[in-house]
Amino acid sequence: MTIRNVRDHGQRFRPRMACLKKVESVVLEMQDPKTGVKSQTQRLVITTIPHALTGEDIVAWIANRFKIDAAEARAMGTMMVAFGYIYPLQDHKRLMLKPDTSLYRFQTPYFWPAQQWPVEDTDYAIYLAKRNIRKKGMLELYEQEQYNNLYKWMNHKWDFIVMQAKEQYRAGKERKKPDRVVFDCQERAYWVVHRPPPGTVSAMDYGHDRMVDPNIEEKKTPDYYRRIIMFTQQCIMRPRVKSSVSIGALVKYTTTYKEHDPFLHACLPSNPWLTDDVTYWTLNMPNVETPTKMRVERWTFSFGELLMDPRGRDDFRLFLKKEFSGENLAFWEACEDLKWGAAETMKEKAQQIYKTFLARGAPRWINIDGKTMDITVKGLAHPHRYVLDAAQTHIYMLMKKDSYGRYLKSPVFKETQKKAIAPEQHRFTETQLEQNAKRRRPSLSPIILRQQEEEQKAKLAASGPVDITQVMSKLERKQTK
Amino acid sequence: MSRWRQSVVEIQTRKKHVNECERAQAALSKVTACFQQMATSLGSNMDGSFLREELEETRTVAHKICSGLHRRLLSLLIEMEQGQEDKGQVERIWVIFLSSLENFQKDLKKVKVLQEIFPLTQRKDRRALVNAGYAGGTSEVAARAAMVQTPWLSVEETASLDLKNHIVKIDVLLEEMLQRVNVPLWSVEPTQEAWLEGVSNQDGWQEEDESLEDIMEVEVVSQNNTSGCCNHHSCKVGCLLCLLS
Repeated sequence: MTIRNVRDHGQRFRPRMACLKKVESVVLEMQDPKTGVKSQTQRLVITTIPHALTGEDIVAWIANRFKIDAAEARAMGTMMVAFGYIYPLQDHKRLMLKPDTSLYRFQTPYFWPAQQWPVEDTDYAIYLAKRNIRKKGMLELYEQEQYNNLYKWMNHKWDFIVMQAKEQYRAGKERKKPDRVVFDCQERAYWVVHRPPPGTVSAMDYGHDRMVDPNIEEKKTPDYYRRIIMFTQQCIMRPRVKSSVSIGALVKYTTTYKEHDPFLHACLPSNPWLTDDVTYWTLNMPNVETPTKMRVERWTFSFGELLMDPRGRDDFRLFLKKEFSGENLAFWEACEDLKWGAAETMKEKAQQIYKTFLARGAPRWINIDGKTMDITVKGLAHPHRYVLDAAQTHIYMLMKKDSYGRYLKSPVFKETQKKAIAPEQHRFTETQLEQNAKRRRPSLSPIILRQQEEEQKAKLAASGPVDITQVMSKLERKQTK
Repeated sequence: MSRWRQSVVEIQTRKKHVNECERAQAALSKVTACFQQMATSLGSNMDGSFLREELEETRTVAHKICSGLHRRLLSLLIEMEQGQEDKGQVERIWVIFLSSLENFQKDLKKVKVLQEIFPLTQRKDRRALVNAGYAGGTSEVAARAAMVQTPWLSVEETASLDLKNHIVKIDVLLEEMLQRVNVPLWSVEPTQEAWLEGVSNQDGWQEEDESLEDIMEVEVVSQNNTSGCCNHHSCKVGCLLCLLS
């Protein structure tokens, strides 16, 4: 049974569904016998049913009513179909408005979507049971799976569900044949909207429920005022920047990045969210062998971009290895590891870093100024997560001012730039897009990705850091020979 | 000797009560199903005062069955002793009744909201009714609901309620049911299986029920367009009243 406790703090407000009231008023306008949408009769083999509409009539009516062009009217019509206010009579599983002679009909208000309450699983179970009773083997595969799940989960209610399904079926049979057909169409359309078949996008995806109704006025309690006071105090304390400076920064950022933003510019080869084709993601994996041209271009924007992209960092590491200054990057990575790592291993990590990078005569000694070294060594007596922050910043600025510039002019980078791929833009037809949608699969599990990362790290560690003392001793040995 | 005979009589009356409750529950299912079927016409082109009256009548019938069934089930469960034989059966009816009440209340709430959206008090309201494609009414469904029989239907007097109070009353009933009797709801085993036999072969109905896909087959319009009444390409009405020519 449903838990009946009004103060259960259950999240029940679905604010994004507030648009439904507006769509309803438009639908009611469409009914007017004089100014509404023209209706026709649908001819079936056994009977005729009134109030059928063609897609093109609906689009024309919307375009006329809101004074918009046909493409936007079509989009609005598709929205109404996706919400379930109008349903298609042919191809009932695809909830979109086709601006041709395909037929649609208005959904009866009982089956309209409502903001106040979500759709119940009990009703869905009754509906599936009803269809199963009517004709065996009528349920599709995904419906059968859901039916079995509901049977397990609602097992105690099952007698009620079967009883109600039988009674609803018999009650439905009392009506005349055309009305029965209409009712069955309506019910089927209702459940296509609220329990969409797999591989389709549902308009009923409204995100998270909210705990508080955002449409009500908040009561002015002392708590409320306390919150307002805190908020305004923090506002006053914020550092201020001249608007010309901040706007200049925004302009600079947008001009640099505007071709790289998938909302403003087309993705190469195609945006996976639009075409369901994942080539873009496979080409831009963290550990890919050849990066794309766009990605390489982003490395030139700032040092941060280069370092944050794993493939960029690999390239930079290769360059530093050739220059025998890999210890800076290694130190920076070790500091990151300390900052973001687990708390229990922190002390050992800090000690390890000191031994490898900071101590006098350390194998990978880094060159930082005396003051920073002093602060760091003193801090290491009581190590915590951010003890190496000063040293890390110093090394970061060193790499940025020195190595980064040389990297961009180096043969390593030029080689990578040359080899970078620029994929062709995809051009999918409608049928290909449909096939892509059917072939959607979940991506690699995060567990596998993490394992791959760990393997990579282990390989890196095994390839051995360039140990300065060893190199020096090797050189000495060569000289004495 | 007389004590033994009395307990036999008790057992028999109890059995009679339990069977009454089962039949009443079946009747309630019937009435609520008919109510739902009629409610789907609300707001459509078939909506009118006639439909609303029928809905009211069906609702009052349901209310009478509910209150009677509620009282009797409650007394049955309270009187139940340890290791009673029909414990499983009574608990089963209890769970079905609870689910039935919740389901009916949900329908009542929907009906209330729909009647607010489509008030039908003025003539112009009829223009806003949704052209859902219905051609006939729901009188047969209402008649089916009205034919329902329960032992206490004609005998007992229950106060009539309007829609809003009915919804509140069900809330009260449900809370009372959940608090007064300690029935472990989730332990009830259903008697029905998941995948059932079809119903169309029972009850002596002759017709084979086609699937919706078969019914929705559209007549194929011939190529030279002689089935339309005129030569207009979007004429789908095959009669002389076509306005497209």
